[in-house]
Amino acid sequence: MKHIINYLAFCLIITLGISCSKKIDNYAGPTETLKGSIIDSNTNQTLQSEVSGDNGKGTRIKLLETSWSDNPTPLYLATKQDGTFNNSKIFAATYKISAEGAFVPLVQTQSDGTVIVDKSQTVTVKGGTTTVNFTVEPFLEVEWVGDPILNSDGTITANVKITRGTANPDFQSDITDVNLFINNTEYVGNNNYDNRYAKHINYNGANGNNILGDTLSLTTTNGALPKGRDYFVRVGARINYGLKQYNYNEPKKVTVP
Amino acid sequence: MKAKIYMVFLVLLALAPACKKTLDVPPMNIVQDKDIFSNSSGIMAYMARIYSELPIEDFKWNPTTGFKSFFYGSPYAITGEAISRDQQNTTETFGYWSDAYSLIRECNYFMETLPNYADNFSATQVNNWLGEARFIRGLTYFALVKRYGGVPIVNKVLTGAGKGIEDISDSIDAYKIPRSSEEAVYDSAASDLDFAYANLPETNQQGRANRYAAAAFKSRAMLYAGTIAKYNTITLMSGSTQVCGIPAAKANDYFKAAYDAAALLDGKYSLYKKSWSPTDKSAQAQNFANLFLDASSPENIFIREYHYPDAAHWYDANQIPRQLWSGGYSSETCPTLDFVEMFEGLPKNADGTFKTLDSTGHYILYNDLSGPFVNAEPRLRGTIIFPGDVFKGQSIEIRRGIYTGSVNGGISKLLPAGSTSPYPTTNLVSSATDAQTAYTLPDGTKMNPAGLSGYFTNTSGAAGCISGFTIRKYLDPNKPTAEVTTNHSDQSWIEMRYAEVLLNQAEAAYELYSAGQGADYEATALKDLNLIRERAGATQATLADMTSINIIREERRKELAFENKTWWDLKRWRIIDKEQDGRIYRILNPIYSSLAGKYFFDDRFDERNSRYTFDPRWYYEQIPQSAIAKSTNLVQNPGY
Repeated sequence: MKHIINYLAFCLIITLGISCSKKIDNYAGPTETLKGSIIDSNTNQTLQSEVSGDNGKGTRIKLLETSWSDNPTPLYLATKQDGTFNNSKIFAATYKISAEGAFVPLVQTQSDGTVIVDKSQTVTVKGGTTTVNFTVEPFLEVEWVGDPILNSDGTITANVKITRGTANPDFQSDITDVNLFINNTEYVGNNNYDNRYAKHINYNGANGNNILGDTLSLTTTNGALPKGRDYFVRVGARINYGLKQYNYNEPKKVTVP
Repeated sequence: MKAKIYMVFLVLLALAPACKKTLDVPPMNIVQDKDIFSNSSGIMAYMARIYSELPIEDFKWNPTTGFKSFFYGSPYAITGEAISRDQQNTTETFGYWSDAYSLIRECNYFMETLPNYADNFSATQVNNWLGEARFIRGLTYFALVKRYGGVPIVNKVLTGAGKGIEDISDSIDAYKIPRSSEEAVYDSAASDLDFAYANLPETNQQGRANRYAAAAFKSRAMLYAGTIAKYNTITLMSGSTQVCGIPAAKANDYFKAAYDAAALLDGKYSLYKKSWSPTDKSAQAQNFANLFLDASSPENIFIREYHYPDAAHWYDANQIPRQLWSGGYSSETCPTLDFVEMFEGLPKNADGTFKTLDSTGHYILYNDLSGPFVNAEPRLRGTIIFPGDVFKGQSIEIRRGIYTGSVNGGISKLLPAGSTSPYPTTNLVSSATDAQTAYTLPDGTKMNPAGLSGYFTNTSGAAGCISGFTIRKYLDPNKPTAEVTTNHSDQSWIEMRYAEVLLNQAEAAYELYSAGQGADYEATALKDLNLIRERAGATQATLADMTSINIIREERRKELAFENKTWWDLKRWRIIDKEQDGRIYRILNPIYSSLAGKYFFDDRFDERNSRYTFDPRWYYEQIPQSAIAKSTNLVQNPGY
């Protein structure tokens, strides 16, 4: 009997010994803050986008942690709709940072592997808040021409002007579509809109390029909007390049009394 | 003393097994290479395994659950060909990767091991089998490249002869092979198929490849590569390797390769016309339906056989019209009006849409359900079942409801054109399920609001048709109702038929013609197109009709509909993101007017308002995270 008790006690000590001997795996959580803006080189304003996840819709920030590997798996951060980002849970390390979105890529590689453009920034994120800004050339500039108008028939009309945001001919593909997005919160875009009223214009081939520089008028579809609420509208346009992300103007509020 | 003797004895006993060579044998309960590779039945067993793993999108492919899956639903409902109660907007998500590399390894292992046993067979046999292994490996690379773009090319058994994974685990980093370029993977598939063409026999057992199957698949693969080179706008570099996208300058080379590969089948196969007649439209329709069920069809180039009960699928149970079901599933594939409108012989408006209203804006009235469809293109009639068509001796009754409103001066449209709203319930009697309350017509007879096959307004609760049409292609008209159940269907899947080869050639030819490679190509495209149209019972095209590639593409969509080809076509043409951008597909509802005693048809958006949006990222599928975790040299595709 005593043997058994000794034996059990021995097992217990061994077990406890293993489970609490060292704290190898117990790192502190990430504490650094990384923030910044995506700035449109033409307007010097932040570049409008969608509320992006880290999954490719809208602008996203790409981090390559180079402190321990030449070939790291990228880590992506989401950005806000207004073109800023702020992430307060980043591990202190050295990162090669770039951004991906509806603008001329910051890193361009030729077909023979030569990197011809590399505007990524290598930054040591450490000691509180680190700010990183990127200046980009959007594919398209979407500008408001006056405020959106509430028509007498209960629809909303938005007037916009669309121009090329870059002079680089490699990124002047055909315009494929222009959309008037509408939603009842300020979070409005291709990812988040009321498809009953949104206006969608599709272009075939090079036809879409004819709208460049003109004032384009888009009116919500499907009749009068329900009364007594606020709507947020903005226009998105895109070109036939890559993942076909949208360029936007900033959302504006229209109150339907 | 006695103990010492025992000790010596024990030592001797311990040494004895070590020098007894006859006991050093491989385990008898494990099949060895020599058991497989030294006789043709062993080879047959190996072949059966690798053929069964061949990645083809057949009756058992489901975009979210994978190959070889059992499911209710319809993969055709991701392309816009059809809508389904149990399949919404999606892309392929199951991540075909590790199964592909297992299969590639099995092919490589076969190719490396068989030559050691070549003495047991004739040289022709050995070459035939090597050709089959290359054929399967080539198709596997093709299956990978059409999903992911460039992937690692592994053309040998990495562990080496007689070794296992434990022998290479110390140097595992050397085996983390990066992605090759998209172009290189297409070229690798092409060289495998070229080898197969050179080494495979003229004919082979049903379900196994002959040399023409290799050529036919090459024409498909090269056509895909050519269209990627021409239409893709997504590029991704991994170091100096272009893993997504093919340089545009290569397009013509690939189109030429597709064209030439298709030409190898000239005179070897023909379009199925056993019960076809140049003058009889119903014979043409019946002929087109028979094509998919006749095992002796001269059009079949490569098929996958099924056999009840050991290898069965669910096709009939999934697709049978509701009134012929045996309980459980039915009507999972409901062709859209957008699909039906592509065909000839239907009442149409000037813009090509289905005509339901007369010149005064009121519904056209028909005496019976099949009214608008009597002159439909025979191929369409062989592909889908219209309301009022006879199948298995029954008239298939599809009715949305009974309109009880006034008919004086004609019936106006129930909803404004383009409306996504539900129908107004005044004047329209519907039924939620097949447990119906009959409506008493003015003459005193009774009629159920919904047809025997639908439409039931509780679309998620009652299995019924939801678009006004159901599918006929591949549906077995002779299967007893009691056997129309899950795991009971065993018709063969035709993965490659001659009609596709003609369409591959026509598309490649037209692309070459439009790239300025000569007018002869245009003539070939027209000739191939008209062979297809003649069998289909459609109007012959002329050179004047050949205004754009769309004429070939539309023919392909019509001919190969509901064969799991359209999804890949829409993707490689890079047009599906435009076709599916918040789109709701359209349906055609037959409605009976109780006061007129006639039918009218209402075209409208899918009543469930199920929207389809193709995310442009889906042109290149996401490489499974588990694969990247194993090898960080694999670069993820853009946007994921």
